[in-house]
Amino acid sequence: MSETMTTVLPDASPKSVRLKRRSPSMRKLGRLLPLHLLLILIAVVTAFPFYAMVIISVQPGQPIQMPQALFPTSISFDAFIETLSSRNIPRWALNSTIYAVVSTVFVLLFASMSGYAFAKKKFPGRELIFWTLVAMLMIPYHLTIIPQYILVGDLGGLNTMWGMLVPTLANTSAMFLMRQFIHGIPDELLDAAKIDGAGEFRIFWSIVLPQLKPILATLATFVFLAHWNDFLWPMISQTSAENHVLTVGLNTLQEEQVPLATIMAAAVISFIPTFLVFIFFQRFFVRGVMMSGLK
Amino acid sequence: MTATPTLTAPPSPSEPEPAPVAPRRPRRWWNSREAIAGYIFVGPMVLLFAVFRIWPAIYGIVLAFGEYTLRRTYKFVGLDHFVHLFQDPIFWDALLVTFIFAAIQMPLAMIVSLGMAQLCNRVLRGMGFYRSIFFLPTVTSSVLIALVFMWIFSGAGPVNALLGVFGIEPVGWLTERVWVLPTLAILSVWSSFGYNMLILLAGMLAIPTEYYEAASLDGANGWQKFWHVTLPNLKPALFFVLIIETIKSLQTFDSIFVMTGGGPARASYTLTFMIYDQGFGYFDFGYASAAGVVLLIITLALSLIQRKIVGKND
Repeated sequence: MSETMTTVLPDASPKSVRLKRRSPSMRKLGRLLPLHLLLILIAVVTAFPFYAMVIISVQPGQPIQMPQALFPTSISFDAFIETLSSRNIPRWALNSTIYAVVSTVFVLLFASMSGYAFAKKKFPGRELIFWTLVAMLMIPYHLTIIPQYILVGDLGGLNTMWGMLVPTLANTSAMFLMRQFIHGIPDELLDAAKIDGAGEFRIFWSIVLPQLKPILATLATFVFLAHWNDFLWPMISQTSAENHVLTVGLNTLQEEQVPLATIMAAAVISFIPTFLVFIFFQRFFVRGVMMSGLK
Repeated sequence: MTATPTLTAPPSPSEPEPAPVAPRRPRRWWNSREAIAGYIFVGPMVLLFAVFRIWPAIYGIVLAFGEYTLRRTYKFVGLDHFVHLFQDPIFWDALLVTFIFAAIQMPLAMIVSLGMAQLCNRVLRGMGFYRSIFFLPTVTSSVLIALVFMWIFSGAGPVNALLGVFGIEPVGWLTERVWVLPTLAILSVWSSFGYNMLILLAGMLAIPTEYYEAASLDGANGWQKFWHVTLPNLKPALFFVLIIETIKSLQTFDSIFVMTGGGPARASYTLTFMIYDQGFGYFDFGYASAAGVVLLIITLALSLIQRKIVGKND
């Protein structure tokens, strides 16, 4: 990577700036072409595992011989048919969907409600409660997962959907992001609604929430992907095979020595929603990353 | 969840208030509708938080000083677990593996992310396309990534096949002790550089171009500009990436669990893996929690050190 920087940096030198002025388009092309080629090379390397996953999944029953395996001469969807007709995988996909979608809805609701109160409502203990919640982000998840397991067990939630889902709804980073965003909503807007006689919940539902659409979309993307990809807690809290989510199920397939093409077909199936969410909501995802960086 | 029906309920019947004649004195909070509304709005989150975050965090620390049996009894044992932990060679090995992994993964992640941000900063046209590809790994499940990488780095996989072209003998990336941590580090960097790159790129784009022009007038070359203009101005973004990468590298679990199970011969047996193994492998919750407290202390210490460095330089 240090090579990357040395090949890139000379372009910023005064000389290239002067050259650019003489014949902008050609010079620019000549300057940017190597960079684009380098970026394309890196993109190919980055995308390779996805390519490999798809390629293996469409060649069931083939002995995997290296260069040939990557350029298939024949394609078969047998592994997909086998995967989809197997007892568990559609069930796992359903579990993953419920886990991700329901969590997303409730995280957005609770995070926007609490973010609104922390940003716009005055009540005793507000700052103390808020910073306690934020400080808890420092506690490693691996320390709390054992007590969480004991607690959910005591509440009778192991091997149930709610036992897996409810503990994940206390999402402080979502709340933090919401609070930052709601600070930007003008107080006058809320006061105007109040003068018009709107109650607290009406103000939240009809005035605040519509203002939050962009940040809600951003958060929804993040929370959905995080839950869809979650592994450790769903694995620990759901022991019976039919309660697994896709990530946990995928890992059990591997442990059971299922043929590689079948595992990869299941991987492709679990990847499709991620891919679609990412493609359609990319700009929200990018915005979320930018916001987390700027704090 | 109980809040949903109330949200759709009609607004409480409040007479339109007469325009305030003079600023009223703040009422006592228990009379204040605003405070009550505040508590109701934070209620669900605070309740969930107290039950599923704060209580487990406290109980996790309590467990570290006690013995929890599967018959749900708790017995205080004081510092026994910590004494045992500090005499346990497995713990010291796990600590060492954790730090070696971080020492490989962190610099690699920083260099790759910074290099990629710098590269993308030069070529802004077509960024959308590249960004999509560089981002895809960051949104993909770690289990899926681990499964694909297991094949890529397997004995007859593409990496060894590529090395074979250059006449290099196949390497046991996941089966030889020396190579396991570097291989896991590569996976980790591959799956997160797109995210870090974007944070750094956002920081770079926020640097005023005048700074670069001024540096050019002073005769700075590209490297000098990077060193004296880009890096100092990028410090907040760099530290943000450093902190999240540190915490992430200390807490790496999924890929280790799927790919190596801590092996070969405990070469990838990190502290988080030890916590899982002691907790859910041997159901020794107390001992696992003691290791968890050590992880907590390391995390806090590193964050404090990093915060101190940021504070000093800003």
